[in-house]
Amino acid sequence: MLRYIKEYRFYILLFFFVLIPITSIDLSTREPRQYRFYDRWVLALSTPIQSLLTGVLEGIMGGVHRYLFVLHTQEENIQVHDENRKLLNTILNLREAESENTRLRQLLSFKEEYELFTVSARVIAKDVSTEFRALRINRGSNAGVQKDMAVVSVEGVVGRVLRTTADTADVLTVLDLLSSVDILSKRSRVRGIIEGKTDETCQLKFALRTDDLQENDLLLSSGLGGVFPKGVPVGSVSKVTRRKYGITQSVEVRPSVDFSRLEEVLVVTGSKPSPIHVTREGKSPLPKAAAP
Amino acid sequence: MKTLILRFVNAPLLVLMVIVGCAVQTALFNSYPLMYLQPDLVLICVIWCALQRSFLEGGVLVLIFSNIAEIHSTSPQGLFMAAYMAVYLIVRSLSRLLVLGRLATWIQLVLFSSVLWKLLALAFVGFMGLAGNQWRHSLTLLLPGAVMEGVTAIWIFRMLYRFDRATYKHPRIQSLFDPSEEEAL
Repeated sequence: MLRYIKEYRFYILLFFFVLIPITSIDLSTREPRQYRFYDRWVLALSTPIQSLLTGVLEGIMGGVHRYLFVLHTQEENIQVHDENRKLLNTILNLREAESENTRLRQLLSFKEEYELFTVSARVIAKDVSTEFRALRINRGSNAGVQKDMAVVSVEGVVGRVLRTTADTADVLTVLDLLSSVDILSKRSRVRGIIEGKTDETCQLKFALRTDDLQENDLLLSSGLGGVFPKGVPVGSVSKVTRRKYGITQSVEVRPSVDFSRLEEVLVVTGSKPSPIHVTREGKSPLPKAAAP
Repeated sequence: MKTLILRFVNAPLLVLMVIVGCAVQTALFNSYPLMYLQPDLVLICVIWCALQRSFLEGGVLVLIFSNIAEIHSTSPQGLFMAAYMAVYLIVRSLSRLLVLGRLATWIQLVLFSSVLWKLLALAFVGFMGLAGNQWRHSLTLLLPGAVMEGVTAIWIFRMLYRFDRATYKHPRIQSLFDPSEEEAL
């Protein structure tokens, strides 16, 4: 027996090396896999490195921007002394703080406008492959982030939480192939489903040929599916192609969020109950959505 | 004894290096326009395993590497495993057929593998019915991605060679990365 195993070792190994990947593909759900216990060890190693590198890079880029600004100022103000330069640096730091403050205030007003309970988070990494478009944020289950929670920014819908660890969460962005968001046209109230297409565009599926869709039409989340709150901007129509035949039309959508410059996001942990949901006893029939 | 211990820790350390590599890659190439120039460090390590490890050790390492890549991605379960394993088996077969005596040949093999990997991933995604218009995006990034892969591979291969030599894992093609030849390259 052992002799045979030794003789055919190569073919046995080849069989297993082909079999294992094939059996691991989950054709029924086609979903990304959830974290297993040993994945958390890997993440425990990689997450601090990602956070550190992102921090260092942001610092360096901030420094470069500041340096360029100072150079530009020097050209205009050649007579400025060292003390003034120090003051300028302080002002720049304050401006940086102010712009961050403005961004955070915008996030806060967004949160208040849509009456959402949210957790703010910072983007620390992106997908390992260029074919898929996930983001990793620095808030996890410890901060109340759970699977399938909506992730939004000031500009609109970012995506949904795919999986979490204690301190991080992976977000499936609207640009990802596996993403689908039910939408509603603000102007014509046409419905459809947005799916990811490239790094910059999405496609609107199931839009009938007769549906009234025009370029620059704003598309909002419909609220169906229970993941995204209703009325949050998802994108705008960038191209409409109607062929001579067929029952649907090809619609390209530009997401409202600029993913190349996305730094902070809000994870929607719950929404405030709207008056229509309040029963006579004053209790919301949707307790899960009502509290974070 | 020291030699044995070092040879034993070679594989775990290689896995650790891939984890760190994935973390660096995902954090460093996070922003525009670097996101389009992201090399696949896992793929380079897979090629290294195909060329420098035994069939069993290399295969097991490839399964572990693809798992690590899947943790850092939203790819459907098993897709990376299938694509990386296919590249591993094809590169291993090619290494038996071709003479890979120069670093330039290795880099050509990396370029070929990069293109192959993307096409395989696209084929698997299409097989799952998820491709849509993804092929256009993939084809656009096919060659820039391969070039970036080839450029990165020069340093990664040299680093892996030094690592293997330090851990007494005698590389098969020792003369290729000898310091005397490295200068000539």
